Amino acid sequence: MKNEDMLMHVRGTSRFVDDIPAPEGCLHAVLFTSPVARGKIKSLDVSKAAAAPGVAAVYTHKDVPGLNQVGHIFKDQPLLAVDSVEYIGQPIALVVAQSQRAARLALKLIKADIEPLPAVFSPREAAAKGLIHGKRRERVTGDPASAFAKCKYVAQGKLFSGPQEHFYFETQRALAVPGEHDTIKVHASAQSPGAFHHHLAEVLGIPMHKVELDIRRLGGGFGGKESTAVWITAPAMAAFLLKRPVKLALGRNEDIATTGKRHAYEYDYKLGLDAEGKILAYEIDLYQHAGACADISPAVLGRSFLHVSGSYHVPNMRVSGVSCRTNIPPNNAFRGFGVPQGTFAIEAAFTHAAELMGVPAEELKRRNLLRDGDTLPYGVKLELVNAARCWEALDGKTGLAGRRAAAAAYNRAHTDTKKGLAVVPVCFGISFAQTALNQAGALVNIYVDGSVAVSTGAVEMGQGVNAKIRIVAARTLGIPLERVRVETTNTSRVPNASPTSASTGADLNGMATKYACERLRERLLEFAARHLSCDDPAGVSIRDGGVYVGEKGPVMSWEKLAAAAQWARVDLSEHAFYATPNLHYDMESEQGRPFAYYSYGASLTEVTLDCARGTYTVDAVEVVQDAGESLSEAIDRGQVEGAVVQGLGWATMEQIRYAADGRVLTGVNAYKIPDIKFVPKHFGVTLLKDSRNPFAVCNSKAIGEPPFIHGLGAYLALTDALRGVRRDKAIPPLPVTPERAFMYLHGPEEGE
Amino acid sequence: MLSFILNDQLVSTDEHPGMVLLEFVRDVKCLSGTKEACREGECGACTVLVGRRQPGGGMVYKACASCLLPIGDVDGCHVVTVEGLGGGTLTLVQQLIVDHSASQCGFCTPGIVLSLTGFCLGAEKISYEGAVDALDGNICRCTGYAAIRNAARALCEKLGGMNDAPAERLAALIGSGVVPGYFGGIPARLAQLRAAPAAAAKDAVLVAGGTDLFVQRPEQLMESELCFLSKRPDLDYVRVEGDVLRVGGAVTIEDFRLSPTVRRHFPALERDFLLHSSAILRNKATLAGNVVNASPIGDATIILLALDARLVIAGEKGSREVPLSKFYLGYKKTDLACGELVSEIVIPLLPAGARYSFEKVSNRTTLDIAAVNSALRVSTSPDGTITDLRISAGGVAAVPLLLHLDSFKGRKPDAAAIEAIAKAAEGEARPIDDIRGSAAYKKLLLGRLVRAHFAVPAVAGEAV
Repeated sequence: MKNEDMLMHVRGTSRFVDDIPAPEGCLHAVLFTSPVARGKIKSLDVSKAAAAPGVAAVYTHKDVPGLNQVGHIFKDQPLLAVDSVEYIGQPIALVVAQSQRAARLALKLIKADIEPLPAVFSPREAAAKGLIHGKRRERVTGDPASAFAKCKYVAQGKLFSGPQEHFYFETQRALAVPGEHDTIKVHASAQSPGAFHHHLAEVLGIPMHKVELDIRRLGGGFGGKESTAVWITAPAMAAFLLKRPVKLALGRNEDIATTGKRHAYEYDYKLGLDAEGKILAYEIDLYQHAGACADISPAVLGRSFLHVSGSYHVPNMRVSGVSCRTNIPPNNAFRGFGVPQGTFAIEAAFTHAAELMGVPAEELKRRNLLRDGDTLPYGVKLELVNAARCWEALDGKTGLAGRRAAAAAYNRAHTDTKKGLAVVPVCFGISFAQTALNQAGALVNIYVDGSVAVSTGAVEMGQGVNAKIRIVAARTLGIPLERVRVETTNTSRVPNASPTSASTGADLNGMATKYACERLRERLLEFAARHLSCDDPAGVSIRDGGVYVGEKGPVMSWEKLAAAAQWARVDLSEHAFYATPNLHYDMESEQGRPFAYYSYGASLTEVTLDCARGTYTVDAVEVVQDAGESLSEAIDRGQVEGAVVQGLGWATMEQIRYAADGRVLTGVNAYKIPDIKFVPKHFGVTLLKDSRNPFAVCNSKAIGEPPFIHGLGAYLALTDALRGVRRDKAIPPLPVTPERAFMYLHGPEEGE
Repeated sequence: MLSFILNDQLVSTDEHPGMVLLEFVRDVKCLSGTKEACREGECGACTVLVGRRQPGGGMVYKACASCLLPIGDVDGCHVVTVEGLGGGTLTLVQQLIVDHSASQCGFCTPGIVLSLTGFCLGAEKISYEGAVDALDGNICRCTGYAAIRNAARALCEKLGGMNDAPAERLAALIGSGVVPGYFGGIPARLAQLRAAPAAAAKDAVLVAGGTDLFVQRPEQLMESELCFLSKRPDLDYVRVEGDVLRVGGAVTIEDFRLSPTVRRHFPALERDFLLHSSAILRNKATLAGNVVNASPIGDATIILLALDARLVIAGEKGSREVPLSKFYLGYKKTDLACGELVSEIVIPLLPAGARYSFEKVSNRTTLDIAAVNSALRVSTSPDGTITDLRISAGGVAAVPLLLHLDSFKGRKPDAAAIEAIAKAAEGEARPIDDIRGSAAYKKLLLGRLVRAHFAVPAVAGEAV
């Protein structure tokens, strides 16, 4: 079973926002944004721009009909700046014109007098100045101080992980079409139907029932379209005021320069081991580079905070985290949502600790893997742990000790190139850490011809959630897949939907769909028994699109059943709701059960480093991933492969450079993501056999984010190779770009 | 008036020749299958095929980035977008992408379909490695490429027996369902079209590929008179005359790279020019355009500098010849006057025993601009001393640099000399901190690359 959309993708007939034929009289909107990282707006003159050829209107904060706010967690982000600006790229005015070209020309006529103020670009500096979003978080588990006293080996230092641009192919965009009676319909490339629906109504100053947000599919999301209301509400505001359709689409370089990224983090770590290499204590301080507004950063930090112990049992731990307010565009969600950053630190700390002990890092990791009965630092006692099973399956496939020995032998024989390898275990909590978001609705309609339409709050962005929902519906109703169509995600059909993120799209919406289909099935079976005058209603079943009485049948087709039921006045439409049970978390005590279950995995990554040039190749990646009872192996395998390569990009080549004034210097010609030739020659993916998961739909497991963590393997394997050459410098930052690798090998000594 | 065949339809338009094809097909023709995702030729989502009828009647199809392809450049051609592959039965490439689940969000997929289809139509040989080369400009953010590689492998297996020359392959490809039947009638239909001759106005902007020009100033080009060198078949040649290779000013990077003449005399360039850019850009960008673009980091320039190339510059008053090493006057400033054009690049063949090497380090190995690049040509006398030494360096100054190394002539290229040459290179380098790397990095890297020139077997051993 595949993602049905592919049949259209290969023909170019699948419609993205820009492919919806522009309605008659459609206008185009472009944002005028701040050229300074922090400043006071002394004056703003848009009159010349407003009078420019083809311009329909230029709006400022004064024109916002409702609330001038698009903050995601806190109300700290104006749609259009009022009297100050906090980052380069912050929207100040909105130009609406007959063409995008005309709107862009008019941008140059806006005069903004902004008095620059000192700005902060370092998260540690922001933290020291008390510039943080939300509260500092800290949890102490056990007694780390006395446990460190008992440690034989203590690895301590500072680490850094860099930002990552989503590089979804379809940039931020929306098309807003005004309707009768002050209503508006918005087509957007957006992951959060419920939240954006609410933002739209607030900005326009109208009730939510007058706003319809419709989402067919996204040309990639990866989290980058979860909290980005600016680019949806801005064209909607223009359309609402002008009573004309308005489209806004960011250019690629605008998107890179002004939208949020994966957060860079800085870390202080201290990892203590006993003589056998068992972790006794871990201390980790997280400095999250959040940007000018809170956006969704505190939630991302929270997830890092919950995943700092990685796949390991840590009996004594202190963790702290702050979301640092700096003058760059607000960072946001990106596949993994803080888990890659949280996991990175302990994985890198193991590299350091293994050097102190003189054993391979993977040997230490294996000894410390989570087992059934272990308690996580926030109080969850684990069951059904597959960490060791994934590790053993990987070992069986690759022979880890042999691979380590082969790399060592190679390195003894070669001076100009070096091999490095790393094993990365994955333990990833599934559910929104924010308990309230773990809910979903589904509306299932059966029509008199037997065709079925399913609407949910899930957004399709290539991850195949619609295909999975279709499988659940067809399986539950007992009909062929072709009878089921998954509708657009629309706030008028399924209200108040949570974002499609946290890998929960299929878990939550699939379960709601299952509930709705179960109720319809029961209703139809009851009707069928009556209609067929069955003595034993329990013996009636629907399978393969037919009605069976016991083993006899099909006695009636699904289509006839639907028509007959409707004629007999049976309701063929059902809405159902699912809320993940038994989730709770107390922010005061930092204890609770935030996740329904955990996804596990293990991978081996091997690299070859060219010592003279600092360049490298990722030679092999072998992954074992726990997908439960996969709803679609083709889809889940694709999710693993895609996530791993995104992770490899984060760990190696993806980097953003900023000018001293905070401007993003890296455009599309310099921001490089993996291409087909970068992908390892050997790239093996195995889904763990015989995994069961009673906590998600049809025993499946979430797959979107967990495999991203395997990408850390490239960082760790390159570090392994680099440390094989010299260890007189600190462990390098992530990503290990060719420049970083080169300078680690050939650059000046530290302190020079 | 421009005329070309767009898919199965004849198109005549009065739109400005500088309008890029992507905009034309999406906004004018309402064909939305071709996607816009970067507008700089960096992603491949807008890939289309451009077919040109050859004098013998055969067709040559090439995959190109339509975001950097002005419609004036496809006058008289057959342009194929994803809609032109037919809407009914899936083509073989489309079917294999579906079979292998090689598409997720789908935004890059039409471009991948066209690059692979272009590969089937245009590749000399059907091989998996060739298919991957053809996809080197098609970025996908979702799949991780494993499934795309599987689809490409399956495609090559299906077409395994197809050994005809590209121009003779069309009927077989129609038979295998790679392209629809109407492709068969295209050469005859194109023969009916009369493309307008190249514009001759003195102040016309010369478009020699345009893959950088249309990144730098697309708006301006929409209002300028343009002269397309693709309409100058007289400048499309690669030939050897005596001891030099002569390359016409309209020769594309890919045609140069794969030219039998180039392969014979400079076999290493086929590999080195793969690093220049992606297939969808190499198919359009020209060698002369790359030189005139005057990027201090252009791969072609750096290679040609070491090879002691000369430019033939044609102007109103006849033509003159300028050594490439004298062509660059300052950052993006060249010795090319208004109304002049580089009509030919003259590359001396390697003297017997001379050795050549090219080094490039970029953040991503393929389809990326170098942090530093460098090329070497060195000759030694029978007693092993250096008689000729040319090392070029890019990314370390405002212009592509030819290092001053005359003092090493007469020395043996032993370890001490190589070390001294590397130090001299570092000494001449004046890099700046920029998006390609820090100044300190580039300076040190140049030294390493110079040492690497002498370490590669081609230098230690026989000619390239």
